[in-house]
Amino acid sequence: MSTDAPARHDASGAGPSARDEILAAVRAALPPGVERPPAVETLASVLTAGSLAETFIAAATAAGAEVTSCDRAAARVALSSLTAGARSAFTFASAPSAAPGTSDPHELADLDLVVCEPALGVAENGAVWLATSDSMARAALLLAQRVVVVVAERDLVRDLHEAYARIDVRAHPFGAFVAGPSKTADIEQALVIGAHGPKAFTILLVHDHQTGEPS
Amino acid sequence: MSAALFVPCYVDQLYPRVAIAALTVLERLGIRVDVPEGAACCGQPAANAGFARESHSTLERFVDVYAGYERIIVLSGSCALHVRLHAPEVLAHGGRTDRAGADVAERTTEFCAFLHDEVGVARVAGLGASYDARVAVHIGCHALRGLGLARPSELQIRPFDKVRTLLGAVRGLEVVELARPDECCGFGGTFSVGEPAVSARMGRDRLHDFTTSGARAVVSTDVSCMMHLDGLARREHARLPMAHVAEVLAGTAVAP
Amino acid sequence: MTRPAFELPVVGATPVDHAANAAAFTADAARTTWHDESLWFVREKRDRAAASVPEWEALRARASAIKEHALTHLDEYLVRFEENAVRNGMQVHWARDAEEHNRIVHGILADAGARRLVKSKSMLTEECGLNPYLEARGIEVIDTDLGERIVQLRGEGPSHIVMPAIHLKKEEVGDTFHDALGTPAGLDDPTALAAVAREHLRARFLAADATLTGMNFAIAETGGFVVCTNEGNADLGMALAPVHVASVGIEKVIPRVEDLGVFLRLLARSATGQAVTVYSSHVHGPRAGQALHVVLVDNGRTRQLAREEFWRSLKCIRCGACMNTCPIYRRSGGHSYGSTVPGPIGSILTPGIDLQRFASLPFASTLCGSCTAVCPVKIDIDAQLFRWRQRVVDAGYVPRSKALAMETSVRVLDRPRLFRALGAVARLGLRLLPARVERLLAGPWGDARELPAPPSTSFRAWYRRNRRGGRR
Repeated sequence: MSTDAPARHDASGAGPSARDEILAAVRAALPPGVERPPAVETLASVLTAGSLAETFIAAATAAGAEVTSCDRAAARVALSSLTAGARSAFTFASAPSAAPGTSDPHELADLDLVVCEPALGVAENGAVWLATSDSMARAALLLAQRVVVVVAERDLVRDLHEAYARIDVRAHPFGAFVAGPSKTADIEQALVIGAHGPKAFTILLVHDHQTGEPS
Repeated sequence: MSAALFVPCYVDQLYPRVAIAALTVLERLGIRVDVPEGAACCGQPAANAGFARESHSTLERFVDVYAGYERIIVLSGSCALHVRLHAPEVLAHGGRTDRAGADVAERTTEFCAFLHDEVGVARVAGLGASYDARVAVHIGCHALRGLGLARPSELQIRPFDKVRTLLGAVRGLEVVELARPDECCGFGGTFSVGEPAVSARMGRDRLHDFTTSGARAVVSTDVSCMMHLDGLARREHARLPMAHVAEVLAGTAVAP
Repeated sequence: MTRPAFELPVVGATPVDHAANAAAFTADAARTTWHDESLWFVREKRDRAAASVPEWEALRARASAIKEHALTHLDEYLVRFEENAVRNGMQVHWARDAEEHNRIVHGILADAGARRLVKSKSMLTEECGLNPYLEARGIEVIDTDLGERIVQLRGEGPSHIVMPAIHLKKEEVGDTFHDALGTPAGLDDPTALAAVAREHLRARFLAADATLTGMNFAIAETGGFVVCTNEGNADLGMALAPVHVASVGIEKVIPRVEDLGVFLRLLARSATGQAVTVYSSHVHGPRAGQALHVVLVDNGRTRQLAREEFWRSLKCIRCGACMNTCPIYRRSGGHSYGSTVPGPIGSILTPGIDLQRFASLPFASTLCGSCTAVCPVKIDIDAQLFRWRQRVVDAGYVPRSKALAMETSVRVLDRPRLFRALGAVARLGLRLLPARVERLLAGPWGDARELPAPPSTSFRAWYRRNRRGGRR
């Protein structure tokens, strides 16, 4: 068995700790061992229709996102226009921003727009993977009224199995698959877009169809 | 092949016409079956009510009476499932071998499953049955999900339906599509008296699905479901004839 | 004054009478139809989502095997999770029961001087009764999942583990918001009400001293955890509060990151028919300057693990699909079970906590098997319901009259001649007695149903007269 982890909060004080008692109870209770099933690659999903991009667009749209397919130049133009029109904007980055100034996420309470470039998109469910160590970026993602995401077609994977094979969840303290704007159906199953988080989610799906085009 | 027909207690007492029809169908198909005395019940109702231990003697008696038959054809999905699941628990005792319970379990089959799997639709079609009506087909849940009589609507597997296949051999019979293909009728054995409000509500909802889907009659694999649904229908003065699959195949079912 | 939708059954020492609660629920036939159809609609969405994944059944089998492997090696995975979580900068606590859990959580909040807590959905903390415990000690607790906030404002418990307010009509929500949040009387449009809730709750997120979340999955391999929401409420709490407490039942630990691919592909599709929840948040450490505490809770789980017949109920990933498909749940409502987790899964988990109090739950079922067929981790719910019934009878928690009736029927059915004679008497009775009397004698059966037309003969009597033999 592995060595004990460092000191932990022990509410009971003297005697066996809760940890000791619980682990002992678990060991005494274990049913006969069941082996780990074989490797997961045997479960790769079979996309029955369309390309990765088509599947992604359909899934993201079903999740309430607005998806536009364009080349990189057009994406840059769209992004400038969206940012210019916003009351306030924030660019989601993995690393903490070098710029001085605000470091309290609460100050992003009235943020209008957050712009993100996820590492990948998942075709089967229309989600994108956004991960960051920056507290501001993490708060911006949820506090902003609108989210704009720029993801390249070549960064699309088929399903979550492929996604997990590509990402390293440990790279940042926070990472999320995000699919569309926040929503709820808690009042009589009526779908409401924009629950507590963002009300709108725009995806610019970038294709590089012309070679030689600077990216 | 030596075969026996097991007629559950409530079918024996309250719906003999279904058992007579089943026997008639088997005989016309050239299948000789015994109807041995000595076991009125398989123990399922008591076991499902939590009295498995108390009803074990009933199941032991069943094993003793039916041991030695190569095929035990049971006229109830619930009873057939109960025997298949629990007969292996019947232990060696007296003249019984270790395997007696397990053997009986393996050889036990429900009536419609037997016709579909072992007799074959072609021979069943040879009975020349006809039933001129649009019908709702109700497969009892134990027969459906327990014995695999059709694909349950929850499962993502290739669709199949042994009962519809059999009924496909009946001239004039048209099966309607229901809004909820296989929702439980609400009988559930002692559930019908232990939770009477929900039981009745489930039954009425099922009947409503039948009628709004255009059914003029109901064909079922389980007399227990029929007893419950028919009782509810007649209380509401609804005219919805109900028949067991055996009665349709025997030509004794009353058309609407 | 907001009227509750219907009277909550008394939860306490007295046994839950599911049948009585269900009868009260179904007495309002129109409302029962509405509740039943709302949940059936979710079941249908689940079906469409499952049908869109060709390898659905293989995924279920895989998920079940991973969970069984994890549970049968739970000690190793718990130790590994703790090691990695601590390495990630989390503080890990262990709680043997609900009381200890609540004390630990309160201790963390008190140490941090936190008085305003925002919570995202955690059935575990419902189970532990955390909210009243903290409120009694001067801590403001705000449930931020919209459904949970609604029932919190009404002083009720959730009636479904995924859709807490599924039992409420929008008019009732409107009334609650009018009373508690000052919205105009009669406002019942869901979009408008949700917009009010958005502003109300965002203010709470921004003012919170601490946040508490549950975990959908705790990952042993990396010492991280996953929280899934559609509203983003867990994330808002985590992104802003300086203290984050994450409570989790020990059975939620899964071995590896790659296992998440299997579970997340099944979870939302099973729960609501969505391909994935809007947010599937992976936490592998505190934010800069934040304190992140994990509380691992037993509270009866090791007892259930030790039960050979019932340990597989711990595979549950809390999707609620069994509730959506259960024909009894849909027609009796979650509150009729009187338990934190209702429905089919609740009926195999809760008797393990207090068999006498929850003795009626395993009988709130026809054993139709639909729950087992939708369960993404293939828990044999109907088989476990059958086995709990045996335990209830063994313990003597079945009404004496019922036990007597069963014993009598077994004695009759074991004696073929006696059975034949009584059967003949019964059929004779059916023919001769007035319908009114028959219905009375038939008890609850006769309340709703006509009795079968009495046949003149039994099958066996007919067989003896019309066919030779009967013996091999």
